[in-house]
Amino acid sequence: MNVLEIRELTKKFGEFIAVDNMSLTVREGEIFGFLGANGAGKSTTINLIASLLRPSSGDIRILDRDIAKHSRFTKMNLGIVPQDLAIYKDMTAYENVSFFTGLYGLRGAELRERTEEALKFVGLEDKMKGYPKNFSGGMKRRLNIACAIAHRPKLIIMDEPTVGIDPHSRNYILNSVRKLNEMGCTIIYTSHYMEEVEEICSRLAIIDHGKIIAEGTKEQLVATITDVKEIRIELKKGSDNLLGILRGIPGVRNVDMKEQTIRIFCDLEVDNLGLILKALIDQDADIRSVEEQEPNLETVFLTLTGRTLRD
Amino acid sequence: MVKDIYWLVITSLRTNFRKRSNLLIYLGLPLAGVLFSLLLYSGHGQGGLHVGVVNEDGMEMAANTVSFLESLDQVEVVGVTKAELQQQLAAGKLDSGLILEKGYSDSVLAGEPGHIVIQSLKGAEVTAYVKAMLYNYIDNFSVMGKIAAGDSAKFKQLYDEYQNIDFELTTSSVNDTSVMVAMSNQSIGFLIMFMMMSAVNLSELIIVGREDRTYFRVMSSPISSRTYVISNIIANFIVMLVQIAFTVICIRYVFKMDMGISLLQLIGLLALFALVSVGVSLVIVAFSKSSGMSGALQNLIVTPSCMLAGCFFPVDIMPSFLRRIADFMPQHWLLQTIGQLQEGASLEDIGFNILVLSSFVVVLFLLATYKFKRMNDTRSFA
Ligand SMILES: Nc1ncnc2c1ncn2[C@@H]1O[C@H](COP(=O)(O)OP(=O)(O)OP(=O)(O)O)[C@@H](O)[C@H]1O
Ligand SMILES: [Mg+2]
Repeated sequence: MNVLEIRELTKKFGEFIAVDNMSLTVREGEIFGFLGANGAGKSTTINLIASLLRPSSGDIRILDRDIAKHSRFTKMNLGIVPQDLAIYKDMTAYENVSFFTGLYGLRGAELRERTEEALKFVGLEDKMKGYPKNFSGGMKRRLNIACAIAHRPKLIIMDEPTVGIDPHSRNYILNSVRKLNEMGCTIIYTSHYMEEVEEICSRLAIIDHGKIIAEGTKEQLVATITDVKEIRIELKKGSDNLLGILRGIPGVRNVDMKEQTIRIFCDLEVDNLGLILKALIDQDADIRSVEEQEPNLETVFLTLTGRTLRD
Repeated sequence: MVKDIYWLVITSLRTNFRKRSNLLIYLGLPLAGVLFSLLLYSGHGQGGLHVGVVNEDGMEMAANTVSFLESLDQVEVVGVTKAELQQQLAAGKLDSGLILEKGYSDSVLAGEPGHIVIQSLKGAEVTAYVKAMLYNYIDNFSVMGKIAAGDSAKFKQLYDEYQNIDFELTTSSVNDTSVMVAMSNQSIGFLIMFMMMSAVNLSELIIVGREDRTYFRVMSSPISSRTYVISNIIANFIVMLVQIAFTVICIRYVFKMDMGISLLQLIGLLALFALVSVGVSLVIVAFSKSSGMSGALQNLIVTPSCMLAGCFFPVDIMPSFLRRIADFMPQHWLLQTIGQLQEGASLEDIGFNILVLSSFVVVLFLLATYKFKRMNDTRSFA
């Protein structure tokens, strides 16, 4: 069964096209990843699925029903973990989850059970009576998730649920996603962290300028990259003016630098390692190590979009 | 939908009344208003009313009238000129002014009193008191004048007899009620302002929900935006009913002020005004892009309009063009209606005022709805 089906979806803000004729199918039991740089249109797509925005054209079906025509049914089966926290600061963790879950018609003992279950699920059972303003970033993120899952939706969409949090909370969240999936939920997962998507998603789509430019399993996507190699050079001290020089070398498609590590993406058939090293030595760069990387999702992303995922 | 509304309203009320700062706004401030009114008028119990008298007549009858006023326990008489009177009334040095125009004495003696003007800035109650006392007094003379029918000896005799009547007893009771009603009205004036403020605070939650994004979470559930707004309105109305009941009960039973109007009528009128307040707050919120902006609009609109409408002092002291503005303030219509009921108007007499207040409700709600609808088309979820 298709849990989510998007057909020729377009969303314009005035002249600007945020989502551009997008079609996509997510099947039951998948953890589906959305990869895209800032402003690619991921959140806009999610807001369209949640009926928070009206599409300019195209349609969206959840569990084989049109969201515009079967608003109540589709919303009952949908849980959204928004990119920006959406919780009440002056309500306790318990009250937050209970309130939002009550919107789905649950009351009394059942509501209490579901609320406690969701809080336990995200590891906040000790903080039920605590107020979010006293929570760490990771705890708030986990509460943000609990509010979206307590009504037991079939489809859960998480818009960057791990942004800016500590490793402990992040692992907790990633494990929760897996557990939810094992319990039968279909999940759409958006992240800026390539490692996360590689780790948990069974399939993914790369979105750029509102379009899906590639879709498939991680292996399928990596296999499409046959003409690019990545050279990783670690320096003692990075320097920005190196990038420009490296970009001028024949065969180099893109260069980026994170701290002391320079990543150079080159055409596979061009043999330019010597030129690259010479250029670096000419600039008195202190080279610590050089290695050629196997293609991975990051290579795929960079090749297709010409950008790195995180700026 | 009823179930959903109930859920939203209950949650909203529970969190609202739990916050101490909210309790202060909803109940503490109106109570402070009552206390302040007590303070404002407490002087009148002991110090008495300061009445400025302009005696343009200068005849014996006029002099007698002035000394009658002087004889009253609660009144302190100051002789002034017409110009001084206006000035000192405006400055608050005088509570009330009495002008005895030329021809006053003759008119009384002729049995048709006239040429007398009473002014006041502190509210109808002060004037009412002076009026009540004077008219009683003058009435007696005009009756005597009629009986004597121009016979001055007979008049003198009647006058002497009259002087021996113990009049004081009634005066103090009239005075008490009048000041009490004034205090109560002043308290209501403050209540009106605080009602409007808390209404904005509650409607503002609609904007705050957009800012902290909880609104979007609610919208991604099966709750419609209409249900959400209706619930907000109902919660708002309930908060104000609590506020009204609390304040009115304080005025009547804790501070034992005479309100000069039945408790139920007053609560009913205030409840109607609560709807007006909700309407005003919705319009403010509908036209605001952020909670900061609605807060600013609240300051810009509520207090000044309350002032113009006469919540803090009577509109009589304002220039006439400003007084005409008061007609456009719903607060003014409410105060006027209360005033009329205090003066003994029947429910039928205030029908028109009720109609005006109801029209305010309808127009404000329509305006807010229209604006909200337009906003929905272009609302930004970014
Ligand atoms: N309400 C709006 N009005 C105008 N433009 C908008 C609106 N919402 C989003 N956009 C634009 O649409 C584009 C896509 O935004 P969106 O939030 O979907 O990106 P994203 O992929 O979620 O990015 P990020 O990774 O930063 O969250 C951006 O250029 C954004 O500026
Ligand atoms: Mg986003």
